Amino acid sequence: MTSLVEVDEVSKWFGELVAVSEVSFAVGPGVTALLGPNGAGKSTVLRMLCGLTPPSKGEVRVLGGDPRRDLALSANIGLVPQQEALFEGYSAYGFVHLAAVLLRVADPDRATRAALELVELDPDDRRGVGTYSKGMRQRVKVAQALVNDPTVVVLDEPLTGLDPRQRLHLISLFQRLGEDGRCVIVSSHVLDEVERFGSRVLVMAQGRLAAEGDYRAIRELMDDRPHRVRVRCDDPRMLAAGLLGANGVVGLQLVGTDGVVIETLDAAALRRRVALAAQRADLRLHEVTPLDDDLESVFRYLVERR
Amino acid sequence: MSAVASARLPVFRLVLRSQVSRARVGALLALGAVGIVVGASLGAADQVPELVDGRVVDGGLWAGARFVSTFGLSLLVPVTALVFAAASLGDLDEEGTLVYLWLRPVRRSRIVVAAAAASFTVAWPVVVVPLGVAAAATGGGRGLVAGTVAAATVALVAYTGLFCALGLVTKRSLVWGLLYVFIWEGFVATAADSAARLAVRTYARSVLSGVADVPLRGTVVDSPARWVVPIAVGAVALAFTTWRLARRDIA
Repeated sequence: MTSLVEVDEVSKWFGELVAVSEVSFAVGPGVTALLGPNGAGKSTVLRMLCGLTPPSKGEVRVLGGDPRRDLALSANIGLVPQQEALFEGYSAYGFVHLAAVLLRVADPDRATRAALELVELDPDDRRGVGTYSKGMRQRVKVAQALVNDPTVVVLDEPLTGLDPRQRLHLISLFQRLGEDGRCVIVSSHVLDEVERFGSRVLVMAQGRLAAEGDYRAIRELMDDRPHRVRVRCDDPRMLAAGLLGANGVVGLQLVGTDGVVIETLDAAALRRRVALAAQRADLRLHEVTPLDDDLESVFRYLVERR
Repeated sequence: MSAVASARLPVFRLVLRSQVSRARVGALLALGAVGIVVGASLGAADQVPELVDGRVVDGGLWAGARFVSTFGLSLLVPVTALVFAAASLGDLDEEGTLVYLWLRPVRRSRIVVAAAAASFTVAWPVVVVPLGVAAAATGGGRGLVAGTVAAATVALVAYTGLFCALGLVTKRSLVWGLLYVFIWEGFVATAADSAARLAVRTYARSVLSGVADVPLRGTVVDSPARWVVPIAVGAVALAFTTWRLARRDIA
């Protein structure tokens, strides 16, 4: 793989807050998803890739250059930043056209129209972007990032605020760009979103690179971890006794007067076993709740296992 | 990839558009209108010749020059420059839109010069025109009008540079700017000649005094320093702003 973006042992701290800690990866053509919960350091990594903030330690190279120092390099980086703000007095056409002019696109008018049509916005809509919905503003941001057809496209949570149809449209647009040889880096905190990109995934948590690989490998890694399930029933002691030694059950803990927390390596099989054990002991089940299926706990697990 | 865009005009237009809000321009024009009314009332009053530093000065000229110095150079010029120049890059930074200029192959100096030029372009008519009219209305004569226009323009150059930098350095640029204008220039700098030389107002007053040929107090700077220093201050401040823009984090 030809690396278009290289991040080598990069750390970034703001005062005493460590936002990114010793992160290394290389990215080539295609779509790469940067997955992680809010506050994981994804945006800081993306900002460093664009030169908007320098690394405190380590090195970032984009197309062989330093994005912080090489001014001309910025013509080859398209960024969709996280913040919503646009130049409020401008129409979508005016906003994207300004980007085209500053990027010295040969025919700014044609490029602007093409970029807006790419994201399904009307180039002749003269309303100010201040009147646009969140989803429309998001698409304006994508259009300005693509107006000069850059080699590296950096998208910080680009699907925020979009309706399902527009999400699908933009996901397929990003996939097309990746297939055409562009280096597309997309950040997201939504696992299903990343699944749709069908791409290579870099998982970030607590400022560190917690895992990397293609989507399926990451999914398996996440499913292989121990799961905790809380069960409330008439007699939790009897239920726990029925589950002792069962295949896949690695821990049992009584909680309160009517609950038991079960740790298992196979959540799906556990549900069947719980039902069977309850039936055998003639117990009434009140609740079966997975305790750590949220993304945060998945990321926490990935960080702890490294 | 070597091409670096010549982008001063689009950036100039962008900052100009973002600065010209009805409320902002309206409030400052209203302040200028107050100056015209006061100038006219001074002109309507009988002014007797004054003996200043052993020299007899025409009463209208003396009253007009003191008014321009007190109201125009101490209040209208610095406050207007602060409002526009601090916002030129500061607003973009605060809103999070500066990234759309920063991440372009455009020299930082061009962004800064374009932003400062836009501020100056908006501020000049808002300040100098009403102040010139007010000076004429006092009856101080053509010399006073020329001195007023020259002094206000020179001061505006310096303040624009200084406040452009301030807008990028701090989010509380209005507070710090007002503290500079009213505490440093209005109070500390009046205590000693050496401190006075660190105030833009001193140079502006010296220009007014020199061009209008009126012996104002606190005009300790001779020509050509009274002309050169404020312009140099503006230029150095813009150079600092460029340096700062290139090295700071962009949201």
